[in-house]
Amino acid sequence: MLRLTASITSSNIIVPQLRQFHASAVCCKLQSGRYKITPKRDRPLTYEMANPPYYIAHRKSWNSWDTTSLLDGQRAAETSVEDVFIRRFMTGTWHDLFCSEIIIKRQHNLIRIAGILRQGIPSRKMYFLIGYSEELLANWLQCPVKLELQTVENKEATVFKHI
Amino acid sequence: MLPRCLRAFSKPLCISFQESGILGKNLNRHLQFVGVNSFSSTRMSCMPQDVSLEKCSGKKDTLYKSVEIEIRSGEPAVLLSYEWFTSYAAKQLGITIGKCWAPPKAHHNRLTLLKSIHIYKKHRVQYEIRTYFRHMTYERLTESTLKTFLEYIQRNVPEGVAVKVTKKSVLNLPSSLSDSVRRLSIQ
Repeated sequence: MLRLTASITSSNIIVPQLRQFHASAVCCKLQSGRYKITPKRDRPLTYEMANPPYYIAHRKSWNSWDTTSLLDGQRAAETSVEDVFIRRFMTGTWHDLFCSEIIIKRQHNLIRIAGILRQGIPSRKMYFLIGYSEELLANWLQCPVKLELQTVENKEATVFKHI
Repeated sequence: MLPRCLRAFSKPLCISFQESGILGKNLNRHLQFVGVNSFSSTRMSCMPQDVSLEKCSGKKDTLYKSVEIEIRSGEPAVLLSYEWFTSYAAKQLGITIGKCWAPPKAHHNRLTLLKSIHIYKKHRVQYEIRTYFRHMTYERLTESTLKTFLEYIQRNVPEGVAVKVTKKSVLNLPSSLSDSVRRLSIQ
């Protein structure tokens, strides 16, 4: 504002160097997908958690693979809602057993759900839960659903670093 | 349920879908098969025991001059790998491989959104979604080869890859034109 008025009044006046400041400092920083360092440095992070979102497509890959976000992709919103539902259902059915993110892959109308589980329950119960999840999800989503789960002895196997 | 001659084709080529579950047979079975109908044969009587891919009717196969397959994905490495797979399959089936090329740049869909939920208009966040393309061309195919090839290709499409197929067929001259050609040649 001041610079504008100075130029209008006369042409021989030297325009002073004006410095500006912005008051919204809190909004500048990025905080999504990042974890704070603890004083004891004992918080475990998986590889996925350790890499912030700007590493997607460089060091990280996506959690749901489908054609909805491509050019001329159909049904983006419905697919996202289905993904959210699948992730909640899986986390709830396999309570506290998932050691990794739940990966959802779509090929034609087949949905493949992948993930790494902890061996917290006996294998008979696991087989039951696999069948149960596949049947119910196929019934709700009206398309074939396959679970491709891998197991790991304990959570430490998927820990990448401690922060 | 399915006629006997179709039973050989009722199993998908590579992916097998689990049908029976804890609560009984999966009733979504009809949703699981992609393109089985393209293998239909017209009469049951012509193939009692052995199975053959020839059509029983006297109709001739349409000939295709070229088939162009355009694939799109968010990852160029996946497209490269799929192209290698389709070209290898084409080579095994004896199909001539035409020009396989990719445009040098991807399509970027960019969004500039507000970073905060309330006020702070000067602070924005930019996202971008890239679509990479690749084109593969295969030349001089018959209809049955094309159907087999496309069925195999499309069943093994990786997740997150969209396929668009453009076929160019060869037709006879329309009868009016061919008559006039014949008349001219007689003269």
